[in-house]
Amino acid sequence: MRAQKLKVDFKLAAKGTRKIRRVVTMRWRVLFLRLWEKRWFLIAMLIGTGMLYLPLPNGLTEQGMIMLTMSVVATILFITEPIPLPGVALLIIIAQVVLMGMDSSAVAKSMWNDSVLFIMGSLMLAVAVVKQKLDKRIAFLIVRMTGTRTSRVCFGISAVSGILASFIGEHTVAAMMLPVGITLITLTSDDPKKVRKLAVVILLSISYGCSVAGIATPSGGARNAIMIGYWKEFFYDPTNPETHKFLIDYVKWMIFMYPMFLLQLPLVTLVLFWTFKPEYRDLSRAVVKLRRQVEAGGSMKSPDWIAVLLFICILIGWIFFSDQVGMGTVAIMGATAFLVIGLVSWEDINIGVNWGVVLLYAAAISMGLQMKNTGAALWVAENFLNLLVPLGAGEGIGLWAAVSVLTTGVTNMMSNGAAVAVLGPIVLNLATAAGESPVVIGFITAMSSSFAYLTVVGTPACTIVYASGYLKATDFLVVGWKMVIISTLVLLASAAVYWPTIGI
Amino acid sequence: MNDEADATGDKRFRILVCIDGSDESYLGLRYAAKLSHGLDSDTVLLYVRAIDLGMRSGGLQISVARENMLKWGLELPGIKYLKKGRDLLIEMGEMAPSWPEQSTHTDVDGTSLGDNKIEYTNEQGRKIVLKLKVARDIATGIIDQWELGEYDLYILGASEKWRKFSLASFRDPAVAEKIAVHAPCSVLVTRELEGSLGNLLCTDGSERAEEMIRRAAALSYTCGFPVSIISVAEEEEERSKAEANVAQAKNILVDMGIEPRDTVVRVGNPVDEIVDEGKKYSMVVVSDTSRSELKRFFMGSVAFKVLEESKHSVMVMR
Repeated sequence: MRAQKLKVDFKLAAKGTRKIRRVVTMRWRVLFLRLWEKRWFLIAMLIGTGMLYLPLPNGLTEQGMIMLTMSVVATILFITEPIPLPGVALLIIIAQVVLMGMDSSAVAKSMWNDSVLFIMGSLMLAVAVVKQKLDKRIAFLIVRMTGTRTSRVCFGISAVSGILASFIGEHTVAAMMLPVGITLITLTSDDPKKVRKLAVVILLSISYGCSVAGIATPSGGARNAIMIGYWKEFFYDPTNPETHKFLIDYVKWMIFMYPMFLLQLPLVTLVLFWTFKPEYRDLSRAVVKLRRQVEAGGSMKSPDWIAVLLFICILIGWIFFSDQVGMGTVAIMGATAFLVIGLVSWEDINIGVNWGVVLLYAAAISMGLQMKNTGAALWVAENFLNLLVPLGAGEGIGLWAAVSVLTTGVTNMMSNGAAVAVLGPIVLNLATAAGESPVVIGFITAMSSSFAYLTVVGTPACTIVYASGYLKATDFLVVGWKMVIISTLVLLASAAVYWPTIGI
Repeated sequence: MNDEADATGDKRFRILVCIDGSDESYLGLRYAAKLSHGLDSDTVLLYVRAIDLGMRSGGLQISVARENMLKWGLELPGIKYLKKGRDLLIEMGEMAPSWPEQSTHTDVDGTSLGDNKIEYTNEQGRKIVLKLKVARDIATGIIDQWELGEYDLYILGASEKWRKFSLASFRDPAVAEKIAVHAPCSVLVTRELEGSLGNLLCTDGSERAEEMIRRAAALSYTCGFPVSIISVAEEEEERSKAEANVAQAKNILVDMGIEPRDTVVRVGNPVDEIVDEGKKYSMVVVSDTSRSELKRFFMGSVAFKVLEESKHSVMVMR
């Protein structure tokens, strides 16, 4: 061997004590890395301790200061993720009991409400729906409607993904449609380099189609349910008929938000085609093969029909009965029905749902309520407003834009549900302090929280689609900023023109 | 845990190649194949899958989407990339399809996937391992591998896939940089690695740098790449010192029987000069000289600045 002629010891050039010293340094390096990874946890805790010893600012109670500290620490942990996020949820519970001196049962009670039940039920439903073999049917439906031209296929994918996602959540549809997209890509060409741009356009059609749809109905995403929960808890007073307008049900939400989704839908395809020009203008080869694949699976069988029927029932339940029994109950009923009929096993649900999300949102909502109760949210809102007024953003469209920009910034750094849970109490108080409608500001926050087009981890649909391995992280950046601008303009235009005509 | 290291493995040079499906990572693999051919080393191909810690997928586990892909008969990206790497090695003649293989699965808490590996061993006991690993993040997963079997060299591509583009990137530097800073062994970050242009070895005259020159020269020689030496003086007055450093390094090489192609002495900022001179070479080799961990984090060292700014491949020697 050539190397041996050189008489160089590659393994370790040192021997004896130097070798030991070297191994010790290496081990120390690994240990240092372990500590280094936890640095944000330590920094957050230090900031928290420091804040608690600060003199009380004007207008803030001691309890309020503790809540403010908690939400600052939680926000740092949400963004930097030095510990698993459910761990942050547990810390919130502990802090409420230990620092605030609250009764443990009272904290536990503040965590569960209809919104959390709804988030849990929807996640169980999501797994149940993905486990049905409906994705091939949907794929077939798309290509039968659109023909073979790439632009039409992509629009079909966005539209169908979007419409489905608006009712059953973006993550569900992204998981279902991902194999459809990849199959179309691989059937066009086996060489990923030849279909690079086509792959980007098809896969982003799925993820952005889902993302813009996430706000269309309350069941589109957890953040919507959180916002509905906040409106009710903060502003609804059963004895005061004036406050009934703060009870936003499924249909009311759809009236406000569904048109926004429909407006953005064609823009998704336009922006994608304008940014990436796909290599193939026509997908007839892939479409023909896909059709053959799907037809080989045979026609719809009775379990497939039952699953579809069940889902329609859940939808009817949300639309017509959610104001009587709560949206959460309807979601739970649906999940139970899937289990009773045996269309999904509990094991599948147990593995498929990330239960930590339920815990996280429960704790975040409970913290949000305490922010409101202790007056901390109002204090932050008033100070924030004082900053905005000199900028001319103290009311009207300026304030809307400020809230939208703030939410977009925060949501690009953490999951959108957490962003709404943290920001909700502040922006809703901001609305009251500025004399604006909390409903308008709430809708703006909920919608802006879906503008996380810039990053892989911004929205659930992007994360899932990225897992396919066909996309680069920069792809999201290249097209994402255009989407952010378009979506913001659509939002502000609706807030200024459409919403007033339907009365808020 | 005695993972890949076994009785024979400890004596062999061990190379870890991180595969992410990018062109750069396969360039790195080609280089690894050349090295392992000369050194008779063990090679481990690693693909790391990150656990969804931030629950970015909105509460639905990514595994649901992955299972759905499998149901459609589509391969998951990690498996696809590793297989491509194996095929590349077979094509280069570095391994034969006939090598006996052994598959192992290790459960990892909290995921349904766990770690999977396939180990190919030839008659001389040389191993090529394909490993699919789950970790809390990609960089940590790669660095942790060192604990399982002490590697001598990490090779990874500087492709942008390793970068996490987000507003939060200031707190989570590019994976490649994180590994170069923290890994307990030498790290090669590949960018347009073309062997033909030769390697540039940097020396500052220190004992560590000389030890590095010795090993780096031997590695380059093994792969058949020409070697050149550079030393940079920060000021004109120190030029003679830099010249002495180069001469010293040249002597080391000549003693080893290697004739350096060029010797370069430059005056100026070490990082700028090395990066500028490095444009003419396919790889720059620097040694990690700062001893203090703290100093490395807060000040950065010449080695890491070169790594960040260089247009071509950089090897940080430890």
